[in-house]
Amino acid sequence: MSSLFDLPFDDPEATSKPANEPEVRERTSTSAARRVVFSVSDLTAGIRGLLETEYSDVWVEGEISNCRLWNTGHLYFTLKDPGAQLKAVMFKSQVRSLKFKPEDGLHVIVRGRLSVYDPKGEYQIVCDQVEPHGLGALQLAFDQLKRRLQAEGLFDAARKRPLPSLPRKIGIVTSLDGAAIRDIIKVLGRRYPNAHIVIRPTRVQGEGAAAEIARGLSEIVTLPGIDVVIVGRGGGSIEDLWAFNEEIVARAIVASPVPVISAVGHEVDVTIADFAADVRAPTPSAAAEIVVSRKEDFCSHIERLSERLTGAVRGSIARLESRVHQMNRRPGFAGWPARLALRGRHTAETTHALRHAAQAGITKRLRVYQNLRLQLEQFDLRRRLGGVRARLVGVDGTLRAAAQHRRHLEEKRLQGCAARLETLSPLAVLGRGYAVVWNESRTKVIRRALDVKPGDRVRVTLSEGELGCTVEDTN
Amino acid sequence: MDSTIKDFEAAIAELETIVKKLEDGDLPLEKSLEMYERGVQLSRFCHTRLEDAEKRIEILNERGDLRPAGAIFSKDDDRK
Repeated sequence: MSSLFDLPFDDPEATSKPANEPEVRERTSTSAARRVVFSVSDLTAGIRGLLETEYSDVWVEGEISNCRLWNTGHLYFTLKDPGAQLKAVMFKSQVRSLKFKPEDGLHVIVRGRLSVYDPKGEYQIVCDQVEPHGLGALQLAFDQLKRRLQAEGLFDAARKRPLPSLPRKIGIVTSLDGAAIRDIIKVLGRRYPNAHIVIRPTRVQGEGAAAEIARGLSEIVTLPGIDVVIVGRGGGSIEDLWAFNEEIVARAIVASPVPVISAVGHEVDVTIADFAADVRAPTPSAAAEIVVSRKEDFCSHIERLSERLTGAVRGSIARLESRVHQMNRRPGFAGWPARLALRGRHTAETTHALRHAAQAGITKRLRVYQNLRLQLEQFDLRRRLGGVRARLVGVDGTLRAAAQHRRHLEEKRLQGCAARLETLSPLAVLGRGYAVVWNESRTKVIRRALDVKPGDRVRVTLSEGELGCTVEDTN
Repeated sequence: MDSTIKDFEAAIAELETIVKKLEDGDLPLEKSLEMYERGVQLSRFCHTRLEDAEKRIEILNERGDLRPAGAIFSKDDDRK
């Protein structure tokens, strides 16, 4: 206990200023006689003078409570620790430069000067800086903004839009001086030689950079034909990349009517812009590669479809071809020669008709095929579809050969028929002395005597020439 | 090029449908040739757009003016 009372006497300040003591003692001893009466204002002013001189630049550590941002833009809060409280104010101009948002419960270190608010007789600290204790201010700001925008749904997967396969124009919002633009153009130049690029130059770091990026983004997307935008910059410190952690940039990205690819710093750098973007590219070069690969996927997809298209049509031709073969093999068609042989008359005419019909059939099919081939040739695929033409020519040859082969077969078969018919012809036996007796109109062969009456005219065909006769009697 | 083709995505979607139908077969010859013709038209549309564009780099400045970037990146092009 006693040591507590002894404490002031151990104070080196107290012993180092012995000259002051008599004066103080004198005032105390004479206070009853010579009263000095201050007005409240004077005393307060005196206190203010003391505080403002003594504590013109101090650092204080404590927890924020009762934090309120007034309409005037000034921020009021109370700093406290388990034993005491200190009122604090931060004026508008300093509040604006704060990266994070001071909130209740936050453990901070404040730098400022003490001042007294005369009308209330309250003293307070006027803060120049507030920084979070432990965690860096930027990290805290990042966490706070991320949490807030996430809660708003700005980062939802459902918001992410697919990138276009083939952007008419690629927008780029970045600095013209940085490595980012050079990297992007290098990749596009190599793998997307006919890309149409529009660059909206902005500063990418420093005071006001975020607002410039947001504005650039909102302007470039209004250009007709911009189908995708890359926004970003090359690597740097967290402070250098900070513009991409600002709310205004995140909101501009979300507001963009076309998909946005964020490309900030290196793989390890993750920014708020990355969360807001439709696609996050680890680096600016990677952003360009993402655009390129979409285009290359598109090209090979088209190639595959083109090939399948011609393949499918080849299939149609093949089916047609097999139908032609099937028709030729039908019994009705194949049975013609046998039936011909049974008919005794008009052999030559029928044979001719058959040959004509067969040829017409083949010709017709050839014509269908030629038409088909002609139509196919009209589609000039030489440039794009390469080998397809050669394949079609191959099919052409196959079909033509098949048709010719078929025609040869038919001709041979017809010749065979004609020869066989020749030997079967009744006319052939006439050479051996037989004769054929016809009715007068030569429509019927007379086989029985009963078929005619005396007086009927008949015609008799001999090996050479013909006789007109009259029947005298019938037995 | 062809007013019946809206854009690439539409063109490729239609081309896919056509190829599928043709591959399924069972179409009359006339119909399949008609579809083939349309398919060729679509694929040509895509190819034309793929190749027709010309490499261009432009700068959009703060006043909203668009001008060719030209000299700014020509040095890099030379180095490549």
